[in-house]
Amino acid sequence: MTQTVFEARQVSKFFPGVKALAEVSLDLHTGSIHALLGENGAGKSPLIKIITGVYRPDEGELFLDGNPIALTGPRDAIANRIGVVHQERNLIGRFSVAENIHLERLGAFPLKPIDYAALNRMASQWLDELGLDIDPRTPVSRLSVAKMQMVEIAKALSLRSRVLLLDEPTASLTAHETDILFALLRKLRDTGASLLFVSHKLEEVQEICDRVTVLRDGRNACQSRSMEGLGRQDLVRMMIGRGEDAGRWTARDRTGNPVALQLSEVSTGLGHRNVNLAVHKGEIVGLYGLVGAGRTELAKCIMGKFPITGGQLRVGGTPVVIRSVADAIHRHGIGYLSEDRKQEGLVLMHSVLENAGITVWRQLARWLAALTDGTIRTKVAPFIEKLEVKTPSLDQTVGNLSGGNQQKISVAKWLAAGVDILIVDEPSVGIDIKTKAYLHDLLRQLSDDGTAILLITSDMPEMVALADRIVVLNDYRVEGELINSGQYDTMSHAIMDLIHRVEAA
Amino acid sequence: MSPGLSRIVRTDWFGPFVIALAAIAIVAAFNPSFLSPLNIQVLLLAISINALIAFSQMSIIAIGQMNLSVGAIGGLVAISFAGMMEVWGFPAPVAATLALALGLVCGLLNGLVIAWTGISAFIITLASLSLYKGINLGITQAQPFYGVLDAVKAFGQTNVLGPIPWLAVPTAIVALLLWYMFNRLPVGRFILAVGGNQHAAELSGISVGFTVTVAHAISGLLAGLAGILLVARLQIGQPTIGDDWLILSFAAPVIGGAVLAGGHVSIPATLLGVVIVAIITQALVLFNIDPYLVQVVLGFLILGAVGLNRFREARLERPAGRI
Repeated sequence: MTQTVFEARQVSKFFPGVKALAEVSLDLHTGSIHALLGENGAGKSPLIKIITGVYRPDEGELFLDGNPIALTGPRDAIANRIGVVHQERNLIGRFSVAENIHLERLGAFPLKPIDYAALNRMASQWLDELGLDIDPRTPVSRLSVAKMQMVEIAKALSLRSRVLLLDEPTASLTAHETDILFALLRKLRDTGASLLFVSHKLEEVQEICDRVTVLRDGRNACQSRSMEGLGRQDLVRMMIGRGEDAGRWTARDRTGNPVALQLSEVSTGLGHRNVNLAVHKGEIVGLYGLVGAGRTELAKCIMGKFPITGGQLRVGGTPVVIRSVADAIHRHGIGYLSEDRKQEGLVLMHSVLENAGITVWRQLARWLAALTDGTIRTKVAPFIEKLEVKTPSLDQTVGNLSGGNQQKISVAKWLAAGVDILIVDEPSVGIDIKTKAYLHDLLRQLSDDGTAILLITSDMPEMVALADRIVVLNDYRVEGELINSGQYDTMSHAIMDLIHRVEAA
Repeated sequence: MSPGLSRIVRTDWFGPFVIALAAIAIVAAFNPSFLSPLNIQVLLLAISINALIAFSQMSIIAIGQMNLSVGAIGGLVAISFAGMMEVWGFPAPVAATLALALGLVCGLLNGLVIAWTGISAFIITLASLSLYKGINLGITQAQPFYGVLDAVKAFGQTNVLGPIPWLAVPTAIVALLLWYMFNRLPVGRFILAVGGNQHAAELSGISVGFTVTVAHAISGLLAGLAGILLVARLQIGQPTIGDDWLILSFAAPVIGGAVLAGGHVSIPATLLGVVIVAIITQALVLFNIDPYLVQVVLGFLILGAVGLNRFREARLERPAGRI
């Protein structure tokens, strides 16, 4: 019989000037996967932090097995067998898998010698239980992103968590890896665990969750109800307060346009071999592959960050050698929208103006010798406006804006630079549905205006919604090329077939 | 290459080890007196003290911070040690224990202030460098304490076995204890975990403040020990002790492949870093080269070591190497 393990009742959380959570409730059952949905800023993150003991609620109570509890910190939550797999990686790269799994346990006795043999033995048990073929002595930094994710789950499970919170666990996983993860989650559910699944991907939520709580503007849009009878549109309506615009994808054939970017038999210093790829003016070419297939790496080679060792790269039909990123941007008009906007895309401490203007400094300074905020403002402001960035002013610090707005500024930066070719890497990681739809419209519109776009994404629906053609990369080689039909089922099968044909061989 | 050999080649200490051997071979070939017992003793004396200075900084590098006050703590402990013997007539063991406790407290204060305020260690230890040095000068009026007891002088001058000086004994013990701590004790692993990924360490229930404080306390203790040994070696309590420690304290761990961002240090490699610096310093003396050039050579060594580490890390992080 299912029973309530954990309950948050009428919980509120205030921050200076903001009510982040207002009387939010949530209850978790045993043997259930419970979805927590909400747009960015809806209050998911404060709620998660309250459940995991990072924040204390200002109002309301938490109950475990019907008894009220007050969590004093992350360790206290762990002691109460509430486990978390956080969105960001929380492993120590140089430590072994076994040590990472047991890091919490070592905390109680700082001076008791560590028995590595026992640690490895215990870790093996958990890894076996999850069906993972990893040597517990391997340093975590040598694992793929997906395996790291599995190790984090093993870590949470090893604490015998009865409540396991998974914050966007599939954000960096490919479809295949996601399937493996889901099989695992179902297995856990069947043994009576209570899982709280936080995700932006509604397809996934519909696939594995049986109950759902939706937050909107810091309040419950729905509270712990069954998923039964809820369609995608219903979920979206609860999340954003209105229905979702239907996809407006239409087939386009831009292969008749002049070629903007062409790779012929390209090899790179990072290990790509004989890559052939062409992006025409006004076309969106998708680059799909599993994590570790070498997509981002290829983009960085095109941008001149890493060397191209063989073959030919043509921009607008002319063979070129790109020596540096500055070269790529200013001489060849290629922009790169980074996968990791916090690390590589934006200077979070700087203002909107400084971030968006960074690509045009050189262009403007050429004529004026000195930069003034005024000239940058006139150049940048139209794009900020066009993208509807929600910022109090151009002087606002970027770090204070939401993820979606940060991503818009990254795009604005390249629009301002006036690039002809834009490489877009995982544009919608951590972005909510509304912004994502908007971003998709924007990219389609950009290509209609003539920009050639190379799109890298692990999000299959996004790939199918945006690309005109899809090139499949595996193990640093091109496995094939598909014309996108816009039909999700046929396209995803065709793509996976291309990848698995190789794995089976 | 056999797997065993390849594993040895990949360890941190292999590179510095080869360089140290090569340096010994080259210097000895030009000047056989380099390997005389007297010269080995001189080398070991320098290595014993410099290794403690390097370990002191290494403990802080492990958490991804830096301690600019290593020399100031060492100097303050040194003059306190000598002063307690001269002015108050304390027996050597009591003076040494109290002086060591002072070093521990100095480090502890650094750590507590950093943990409480969250201000960067660079700033806090810059301030405490000035503070500790100022106290030192206030006490001594820049004059040395000469009243170092004979037992201490003897400890600093005699050998325990062959060319191995007594001063090497505490250093050897410290090296073993540190190795044990960083590899086997949770507290050592916490230091590396905080240095490797502070956020992850925190969410794993490790108290970052506690760990930072412990690391700084250890650093202070080791700097203090170096100061005491230096008093034994110099035979006087010089107020200038510690003034020239800073570059060396970073040079040896860096030559030994420590990651300045934190999370990775190696005791044997740091020790070898100290050995390399000592050999080169000694070689310059043997070949009658201007000793002031030592600084220049040290500068190039640091640059070379950092460059080499970058190259190594770039190779290790190749995506193809992942499983």
